[in-house]
Amino acid sequence: MSEKNLTRYVGTMKTSETAKIPGELLLEESRAVFMSHRGAQVASFALNDIAKLRHTRHGGLRATLLINLTSGEEYSFTLERGVPAYDYINRHWETRPHEEKNRADELRRLAELRGERIEKPQKLSEGRKKKFRIAAVILILFTVALDTGLVAKLFDYILTGVSYFVRILTPARNAVRDAFVYYESSNLAKTIANLVLIVAIFVLLSFSFKRRHPNRSVGGDLGIYFLLVFMGCLMVFPLVFAVSSSLKPLDELFRFPPTVFPRHPTFDNFSDLLVTMGQSWVPFSRYLVNTFAITFFGTFGHLIIASMAAFVLAKYDFPGGKTFFGIVTTALMFSGYVTGIPNYVIMNKLGMIDTYWALLLPAFAAPIGLFMMKQFMEGLPTALIEAAHIDGAGEFRIFWSIVMPNVKPAWLTVIIFSVQSLWGTSASTVIYSEAKKTLVYALQQIQAGGIARTGQAAAVTVVVMIVPIIIFIFSQSRILETMASSGIKD
Amino acid sequence: MQKRSFIGNYASIKRSKLSYSWDKAKRMKVCYLFLAPYAILFFTFFILPICTSIFYSFTSYNILEKPQLVGFKNYINLILQDEVFLTAVKNTFVIAVVTGPIGYMLSFMFAWFINELPKWVRAIAVVVFYAPSIAGNAYSIFSVIFRGDAYGYLNSILLDLGIIDAPRLWLSNPDYIMTVLIIVILWMSMGTGFLSFVAGFQGIDKSMYEAGYVDGVRNRWQELYHITLPSMKPMLLFGAIMSITSAFNVSDVPRALAGYPSTDYAARTVVTHLFDYGFSRFEMGYASAIATMLFLVMILCKKVITNALSKVGT
Repeated sequence: MSEKNLTRYVGTMKTSETAKIPGELLLEESRAVFMSHRGAQVASFALNDIAKLRHTRHGGLRATLLINLTSGEEYSFTLERGVPAYDYINRHWETRPHEEKNRADELRRLAELRGERIEKPQKLSEGRKKKFRIAAVILILFTVALDTGLVAKLFDYILTGVSYFVRILTPARNAVRDAFVYYESSNLAKTIANLVLIVAIFVLLSFSFKRRHPNRSVGGDLGIYFLLVFMGCLMVFPLVFAVSSSLKPLDELFRFPPTVFPRHPTFDNFSDLLVTMGQSWVPFSRYLVNTFAITFFGTFGHLIIASMAAFVLAKYDFPGGKTFFGIVTTALMFSGYVTGIPNYVIMNKLGMIDTYWALLLPAFAAPIGLFMMKQFMEGLPTALIEAAHIDGAGEFRIFWSIVMPNVKPAWLTVIIFSVQSLWGTSASTVIYSEAKKTLVYALQQIQAGGIARTGQAAAVTVVVMIVPIIIFIFSQSRILETMASSGIKD
Repeated sequence: MQKRSFIGNYASIKRSKLSYSWDKAKRMKVCYLFLAPYAILFFTFFILPICTSIFYSFTSYNILEKPQLVGFKNYINLILQDEVFLTAVKNTFVIAVVTGPIGYMLSFMFAWFINELPKWVRAIAVVVFYAPSIAGNAYSIFSVIFRGDAYGYLNSILLDLGIIDAPRLWLSNPDYIMTVLIIVILWMSMGTGFLSFVAGFQGIDKSMYEAGYVDGVRNRWQELYHITLPSMKPMLLFGAIMSITSAFNVSDVPRALAGYPSTDYAARTVVTHLFDYGFSRFEMGYASAIATMLFLVMILCKKVITNALSKVGT
């Protein structure tokens, strides 16, 4: 088999009621081979020899594939990424009988036998999809042109040109001109027009990409799109407003009526921020380094310590484990302020006040990280760990070289929760030496500087908010993969 | 025969069960080794504080002097004499009752709506709805939007439209503070629970929907009730716990927007009250009594919600 077209799916193969062989299912073009971890080839068959293929999902992407061959053999694979494996086989299995595809098709066939007809979800033809997309692009261009005033100018030129020859159109030209002047001056008209246009673009785009469900009303879809766009704009507005305020020069910050977007955007507020910070008796870089160090070490330690605990809680049944996890789940509910006072007393007793340990140690034990990690690790096949046990690997080896590499998506989730809380920490209650203070603390001091520092305060907000948001944007798909196992089963 | 011998040997079985789990614990000692670093830190910084907080709540303590036992005096003062605390309870209750369920439902609703969108639109939508809750102290921008003079964005729009004829003091007039706070907290309410819902919707087997359609599910509401909700139960519970947590722990937003202390204590919440006594007045015993009451209420809420959600879709 060439390595190139090969896809590997880690999992187990069931050989009898009780025995399972851990290994990998290798799929290549039209063949499937199951290799055990020891390197033995346990099963091998051509995809076209399959008579029947079924799958049951276990949450996330895990699934068990049940395969019957035409020769009468039966295989059962429980795969970590069983859903993509199922899709792969379905795509490359040329002799697949159509009605076996899923339960819906089976029911549909039965209904046809009874003489009823149930329509399938209709798919738009490629041609119509293309038209929808072109219309959407035109609308986007139109929106941009409208907002930059190009449309107004264009109409003006055309109507001026035409009315030069046809005198009777002059009042029409003036009316259009007035309309656009009113439009330019009214925020409300602008907002409404833009909203309607955005919804229209959204509807066109989603119609062109999506396979429509037959039991959805068009009116309902439109309502949902409108609500989504409207709420989306409301949600994003304060963030956009924060960014645009940070780019406004001073005179625009106190302009009446206030504007959303700056007329003359500048980075002055950010450079002023550096100047102000440069004048403080602890250099700005010091605050930055402090926060970076706290965030980095706190997140790193939390990841390791919480993963170690999560590993044994998820994969071993030992006395006290379940109770402990129950307590952690309850502790999810308590915020830092509530435990803050006794925590201060305890840290004081331990001599940790005014050291970073006071921030790091509680961060290491944050309940949310353990919770997410444990729920995700439960999805790991136990066979993987058993196989390593048989090979003679110690617990720590198993944890470090088998479990940790397999839960990478969960790392990112733990990292984002930890970074979000550590990056935003002001630590005002436990750290009081100026040289040890965090960035957010320093920034809050600037924000508290009152009206004269409005611009810099906006810049501060942007600096603080941008880091977690960027991390989230880049790790979104992994995080969602982990959150799929976040539920609490009672 | 078998049953009788079972009853007769119950005590010895129980004893053997105990020794069995002791044996098991000994065999699994490596598990405890793995758990130890986390467990030690967790007990020191989460469980111990709760226990000491319960202890301090029966004392008068100001960190400098030794705590003195005063019995239930803190609780009695809190409930019978502290009018500001009653305002704080009322405010927290209003915030929790309004933003908790509404934020929860909004999270669920929008996760449901964006579930059917094409993948890339969904990715953008998730960022848009989730960003406010991770954006650090971005809520402080609302102090510009709701500024009390005519330069405030809301004031200028309302003046422009002729709805009001003079700027309103949104953040210092007790009549408006709570409404403004609730809006801002709702804005931030699509947090971890929302993400959990989005992922939960993605995890539902698509062929179940198609099968449901063929079986006679005629519209999206029936589909939601019969197929989606039952498969989402664990996420619903997680989301509920997250939203109670954030609803009861509100304190940063009122302090940043309405000032600390706020006009007439109109924006005081239980946690700001606790912060006031704990970190400004150093009356640790009194603050601990507030914390203890908050623990009890939250644990009670969790119980109620767990019971309520176990009935969903059955």
